[in-house]
Amino acid sequence: MRISKYLLYVAILIILLTLPFYTGVYLLNVMDIILIYIAMALSWDMLLRSGQISFGVAGLFGVGGYAAVLLNLNTGMNPLICIVMGGLAAGILAWLVGIAVLQLRGMYFAIVTLALAEIFRVIIRNLPDLTGGPEGTILPSAIFAGNSARTYWLAIAVAVVSVIASELFRRTRIHFALTSIRNDEIVAKSSGIDVFKYLVFIFVITSAIQGMTGGAYAHIYGFVSPEGSFSVDFTLLPIAMALLGGMHSTWGPVVGAVVLGVISEFLKLQIPYGHLLVYGLIIVITILFFPQGILGTIGQRLKDRRLRGSP
Amino acid sequence: MIVLKTENVTRCFGGLMALNRVNMEFRQGEILGIIGPNGAGKTTFINVVAGIYLPTEGKIFFNDQDISGLPAHKRCRLGIGRTFQLVRPLPGLSLLENIMVGSLFGKGLGQREARKRAEELCEFLGLPDITRDISRMTALEIKKMEIAHAMATQPKLLFLDEVMAGLNSDETTQMIDLVRKICSRGITIGIVEHVMRVIRELTNRVVVLDWGEIIAEGPYGEVSNDPKVVAAYLGEEN
Repeated sequence: MRISKYLLYVAILIILLTLPFYTGVYLLNVMDIILIYIAMALSWDMLLRSGQISFGVAGLFGVGGYAAVLLNLNTGMNPLICIVMGGLAAGILAWLVGIAVLQLRGMYFAIVTLALAEIFRVIIRNLPDLTGGPEGTILPSAIFAGNSARTYWLAIAVAVVSVIASELFRRTRIHFALTSIRNDEIVAKSSGIDVFKYLVFIFVITSAIQGMTGGAYAHIYGFVSPEGSFSVDFTLLPIAMALLGGMHSTWGPVVGAVVLGVISEFLKLQIPYGHLLVYGLIIVITILFFPQGILGTIGQRLKDRRLRGSP
Repeated sequence: MIVLKTENVTRCFGGLMALNRVNMEFRQGEILGIIGPNGAGKTTFINVVAGIYLPTEGKIFFNDQDISGLPAHKRCRLGIGRTFQLVRPLPGLSLLENIMVGSLFGKGLGQREARKRAEELCEFLGLPDITRDISRMTALEIKKMEIAHAMATQPKLLFLDEVMAGLNSDETTQMIDLVRKICSRGITIGIVEHVMRVIRELTNRVVVLDWGEIIAEGPYGEVSNDPKVVAAYLGEEN
């Protein structure tokens, strides 16, 4: 059972990695976006496992993107290293603001993260000498000179990093700490858990993933701008994806990102701009009718059937 | 030997004095009962000792170490364990995992040892079915899980906050035996309870709180005849 499961993962990974050899550029570009969103949805969900809802995902995504692009432009460093540095920059920033912001909980935390993302955007917009101001900055060339196969592999790497991080979080003591904190902080504290330390840690890690993803995105498109890199899409879509697929798991947000990614690509062609409306509808329907998401609902059905089968 | 000592511990919530100059001592290996009417400050006392609230004034010594300013998780690691009045199982975790949390963080054990300890505790407390779904457990099982969770941190001093509430008479008898068994492991116990039978059968000493102040202290037999205690809490028929 266990081995066949790992074999399945390996098979999927091989199919994904070899995709460029038998598909066209269009599909690869769609896959890039889906993979980027997998990383975003997962990192949002990882913080959610501690009970904290962030609306600031786009802010760290944008900061990572800017950091990666500016570093590349000003120092000529290898773009791949710049992407990692983008993650580092977002992580350090999250650490600095997290110490203050993580004194807050629930709605208050959520609202402040939303404001923070906007503050980052406004600051970057108003530093024209460094960031290019409202127009943004263009790289002389996209990463790998725009080679779609290599770009796609980069996106896979980003998604795989986030999947591995998420699985580590699920299998180690971090899982116990976050679940305890989410359910009841007082119980968590009384069990010896340093609640604040864990919250800062998870906030820094998820922000670093978002920053790295932003860095990769910016390098794939060779371009950053206040409106593009901090787009509200990068906050709302990952949330919708994680909710749709199923929260508090690794594969829920992945499934959600794939499903919603494919739907959005289809909708963009059918009804430009109208697709946002459909996202909203999907979120509402998910929360109302199957709050555990696609995977959560399937899992619950299976569990119920098993329990009924063995009274 | 004195395990825990509070000196003039006071805790205010705004204008309300939930604890007023409380001096209490817990002696090694004893079962100390804390009783009093609702709102007397019993749970607040546990919360202040466990570090959920810091005392507004006064000092707390645990094994002669001043812990008045320590956060809750550090006090847990030092050896102060507690259960909760409203039992709070963690829904995302299984029965065994709920208990493991205590050893993982309270004692810093790895997952494998923590699991082993949790299994031992289940056996010790009489929770035979470790695969049980926590949403389908009985009141007694949930209480036992809660105690196991607290014991997994390997406390030297354990507070039991109304662990008998909601149990029937047989279950209460079972739980009384269990508390004795826990105490015989060398764990000092502070027990808050409204079921007087439990206090009578279990405790060496009783402290009576009313409006945040200690109004009586001593063996249950003495305290239960104290007119102040009768007036404030027990009532005439007792």
